[in-house]
Amino acid sequence: MVDSTDAGRGRAARRHALQGALARLTAPVWVPLGALWLRYGRGYAIEGVRASRALYRRVWEESSAPLLVCANHLTLVDSMLVAWALAGPAAHVVRFRELPWNIPEARNFAATLWTRIATYLLKCIPIERGGRREDVAGVLKRVGHLLARGETALLFPEGGRSRSGRVEVDSAAWGVGRIIAAAPGCRVLCVYLRGEKQETWSNLPARGDRFHVSVECIEPKSHHRGVRRSRDLARQVVGQLQRMERRYLGASQ
Amino acid sequence: MEQSEVMERVVKILTPWAKNPDALESVGMDTNILEDLKVNSARLVDVVIAFEDDFDIEIADEDVDTVNTVGDAVRLILSKKG
Repeated sequence: MVDSTDAGRGRAARRHALQGALARLTAPVWVPLGALWLRYGRGYAIEGVRASRALYRRVWEESSAPLLVCANHLTLVDSMLVAWALAGPAAHVVRFRELPWNIPEARNFAATLWTRIATYLLKCIPIERGGRREDVAGVLKRVGHLLARGETALLFPEGGRSRSGRVEVDSAAWGVGRIIAAAPGCRVLCVYLRGEKQETWSNLPARGDRFHVSVECIEPKSHHRGVRRSRDLARQVVGQLQRMERRYLGASQ
Repeated sequence: MEQSEVMERVVKILTPWAKNPDALESVGMDTNILEDLKVNSARLVDVVIAFEDDFDIEIADEDVDTVNTVGDAVRLILSKKG
């Protein structure tokens, strides 16, 4: 249940600050370990990473307006890969605020006590897709809160891994639009990332896969109101990801 | 507007989105839209927009947070219609 009183908001802010502090304290351990696992444990490499990291840096330097990171979704480690594409491990540890909060599916990543502890320390806010509306709203509010504090979050606006392996505008999760609508001037950094061996969706990308990344920043606007506005904003984000995918697929054929 | 009329129209709107047609046969005010009718949570927004169009009302994002059951939807629409 979402507590929308001043006291409730104060408690939520303190809980958020505590989690952020503990995550930051442990980041010098888990951030490099994660990058090492991706690079040497799985043998992954990202083409275009220099450009994506430079753009991400520029986006932070250019403006203090709220920033949301939205990416296509094909595997369970996409959030790690996207974070790796946006900055190196040292940069993430030093500029911890720029390492996006992650919003993983609770059933996949926070089903046991140990995974809940891990996700807590790994800067995650688990969400139960299709869960009680109040609970989902609480997570969306928390993301809005952290954007207002000058932090950022990574969301997958398709709401789950694409079963077709392609970005699907009809799957746009309106919660993303709702967050954008509630954060005036919100910029959305769209990240399209895909492994050369990735045909459709999977748990992990193939070992040794080589990824390609493209990054573009947009500022979605809508003249609609209410839920219609949220749906419109979410569709703009997914539409942008779809255009980036078409460019990637066109270039790779 | 009568509650029974709103209920009837709400169920009609929900029908194409429900992946569990059996639950539609015994639908009531306590029927959960996502869990019982198996409406895709990502598509709930389309259902709500269909409510807006059908009843000529405007629904805010926050209003949807209270909608878990068919009865919640009926009560929300009745409150919007005044």
